[in-house]
Amino acid sequence: MNAIRRSVLFLWLPAFIAMTAQGQIYQGKQLVQAEAFANVSAIVPGEPFLVGVRLKMQPRWHTYWRYPGDAGIPTDIKWELPENWRAGSIQWPIPLKLQEPGDIQIYGYHDEVLLIQQIMPAKNLADPTVKLSAKVNWLVCEKICIPGDAVVTLSLPRAATNSPANTDLFARFQKQLPGAANFSAFWKSDAVGLVLNVTQPELAKFPSVDFFPSPPENVAVGHPRLESHQGANYTFRIPLDNGKQNFKSMPGLIVFGNSTDAPDRGAWDISVGQEMATANENSTSSGVVRFLIFGFIGGFILNLMPCVLPVISLKIFGFVQQAGQSRVRIFRSGLAFISGIFAWFLGLALVLVVVKSAGGQPVWAAQFTNPYFVLFMSAVVLVFALNLFGVFEINLPQWLTRRAISAEGSMHGDAGSFFQGVFATVLATPCTAPFLGTALGFAFTQSATVILLMFGSIALGMSAPYFLLSAQPAWLKFLPKPGPWMVRVKQLMGFLLIATLLFLLSVLGAQRGVGALIWTCSFLLVLSIACWMKGAFITPVASALTRFLVLVLMLVLVVGSGIYFIGNKFQSAAAVANPTASSGGWEKFTPERLASELQQGHSVFIDFTAEWCITCKFNESTVLETEAVRTAFSERQIVKLKADWTNGDPAITKLLKQFGRPGVPLYVLYPGGTAQPYVFPELLTKNIVLEKLETVIRTIASQ
Amino acid sequence: MKTLLLALISLIATTLFAADSPPVGAAAPDFSLADASGKTHSLSEYKGKYVVLEWFNPECPFVKKHYGSGNMQKLQGEYTGKGVVWLTIDSNAPGSEGNLSSEQAQKVAKDWHTKQTALLLDPEGKAGRTYNARNTPHMFVINPEGKIIYEGAIDSKASPNPADIPSSTNYVKVALDESMSGKPVSNANTRPYGCSVKYK
Repeated sequence: MNAIRRSVLFLWLPAFIAMTAQGQIYQGKQLVQAEAFANVSAIVPGEPFLVGVRLKMQPRWHTYWRYPGDAGIPTDIKWELPENWRAGSIQWPIPLKLQEPGDIQIYGYHDEVLLIQQIMPAKNLADPTVKLSAKVNWLVCEKICIPGDAVVTLSLPRAATNSPANTDLFARFQKQLPGAANFSAFWKSDAVGLVLNVTQPELAKFPSVDFFPSPPENVAVGHPRLESHQGANYTFRIPLDNGKQNFKSMPGLIVFGNSTDAPDRGAWDISVGQEMATANENSTSSGVVRFLIFGFIGGFILNLMPCVLPVISLKIFGFVQQAGQSRVRIFRSGLAFISGIFAWFLGLALVLVVVKSAGGQPVWAAQFTNPYFVLFMSAVVLVFALNLFGVFEINLPQWLTRRAISAEGSMHGDAGSFFQGVFATVLATPCTAPFLGTALGFAFTQSATVILLMFGSIALGMSAPYFLLSAQPAWLKFLPKPGPWMVRVKQLMGFLLIATLLFLLSVLGAQRGVGALIWTCSFLLVLSIACWMKGAFITPVASALTRFLVLVLMLVLVVGSGIYFIGNKFQSAAAVANPTASSGGWEKFTPERLASELQQGHSVFIDFTAEWCITCKFNESTVLETEAVRTAFSERQIVKLKADWTNGDPAITKLLKQFGRPGVPLYVLYPGGTAQPYVFPELLTKNIVLEKLETVIRTIASQ
Repeated sequence: MKTLLLALISLIATTLFAADSPPVGAAAPDFSLADASGKTHSLSEYKGKYVVLEWFNPECPFVKKHYGSGNMQKLQGEYTGKGVVWLTIDSNAPGSEGNLSSEQAQKVAKDWHTKQTALLLDPEGKAGRTYNARNTPHMFVINPEGKIIYEGAIDSKASPNPADIPSSTNYVKVALDESMSGKPVSNANTRPYGCSVKYK
């Protein structure tokens, strides 16, 4: 056996020996000459630049595209970079489609090709000159195929500024790069494979329009055919040899030109973004039921979310008060509270249905992207807090109680509970709890009936504990008996509301800046004074005239300061561009940025967040900003983008919707290459993130 | 009338699927080819046995990867030892690289210590086109019932580098082992890699 091994060893040796560092000699000819170029004269620390490996082939010989077609393998370039440097993936020029006998189609390059990659140097460079090298592997074929490899090097000085270099070469090949598609690709799959439909008026000008597939590793693809075209609408059929896989779409290029190999051909890359749109398209009735259950659980969990917590305390307090009353009343209050919850959710659903049918794009928690809504909530919370502190009493009980007693009802209690229900729910909206996000994401793509059902089940979930507690008041006995301590508890609750106010103000600050925050606080100050006036002067013992005058004065103060501070000063404070960029290695998300990072083959993690989203903040401080996770990100050179939805950026809204999510938080990892994006659960743990990052790297390494 | 209809259907079918290999699960089309010594082998005569079809080109670096390392011979030896019929097919046209005369075929088989059942010569590319074999190596596995149970690459790492062999999954081996132990083939269809077959 050893003898066999040795005797057969030399079979492949000649082929490998023939390759020199610079190229490849075959029958006295240098088949491929490899050389590296940079598009800058010097390296500026931290500033990205382009490098290109140029392969010059003998006439009639070709090297391959990223998808080689029926035979061959793509050229592979591995840059050896100093620590903390990053190389993007290869930007492939539009290849030629070459036909060989036996209906063999391959995609590759003749004569000369420049394979461009972006290099991101470290922010600190010690050496005055940087030497970069890359190991290049290729397969070059004419009638026969010969593998080749070379080590190419580049030596560039470090400098504070630089100038462009090799501009003609880079310009020539950058012109041949496909552009990002500015149209939608529609995919269908059937028994034979995939059907691709695109509409783009530009295409109609060209006699030759083709689709070059770029399937994921190990998916065998038949030859795409232009099935039909009418005007600007083109339909391609792409047979899948192993089409049993759940394949809904495929990256690739729409190539157009005067002929299939004309030098002025152009192409659109439909690799990025398009396949996401098909991610959430399964809707069956069992799916609806499952999502209704999720809605119920999500609604239940809303009770436990941080932004409802202060309000929960309020409600518990309410129960304590009611504990001394009759069971029937408690149950009625419970029902009133529950109808408040329902009223809010169903009202929201109705608004949603109306807006949806009007063609708008309503988004969950979108109210919080509107600064006036946040301002209004701040005022409401402050007034509540002052009430709890005892600055003023709500006089409604005075006449209402009288009427209620006379009517043998408890109109006040029920109405109060009703509005508490509404209020609790309003505050809960920014915390889209884990299941709720999925369930709502689903509901948004559904009919009006399903949306109403959905919101109904959320309301049901949220109100379930109150229903139980008010129907089984026996459980309330576990609560402490009323007493003077309740005043203290009430005041303590007031501080919780002040904490809520702080949170709301931090949102406003993030949305409109410090100036706007000051004006808001000024308005809130005047509002507090008005509350104090009410508590001090509008008492049952005060004369009617005093009460009237004070009331007028209060109205003047509130309305006047509202007009001045809010209508005038606050209004003119411009929305703040969020200074999220580059803090903690996070960079600002834009769709263009995402597309370019993906095109360069980087792995990208996106944190969809907002200032007012406490779940987001919680995830950030307990998971994303921990040492372990940070290190994992930087070791694996994952680009971290922060999509800040505080002000309701429509580009981010659109992407959220593509992922079937109505709001933040959302965490998405694009593993790089053609792999599908991975969506994390809304509540992150270190383990979930670290494990996922681990598998991503393994997938890349095995490719 | 019925025959006419059938002929029409098969005509349409062949036009539609001209570019595709016979799908996994379908009956393997029969062929008859002469081996290096001039003896004719038909696929149909091996019914009742597992048959491996391997498309071959001694000049192709991907083929050399598996023969140069001894990987292919080992596989051939192991499975012919278990009663599998291993047919290596050269569909390269005369005048193209990799095309073999009877003498050249005998010499390659001898020098390379190959262990297949037969090295078949298909200079007209008939069998190759029937199976739409596009690469060398391009592998098919046929079960004793005459159905194709695997089509695609020899292993999981598409490279010409023999150093990749130890860390790759050999799909042919997996398909044969699974099928022989009564299990369905888990990965029945992969993207073949290698040189193109040099058809006439």
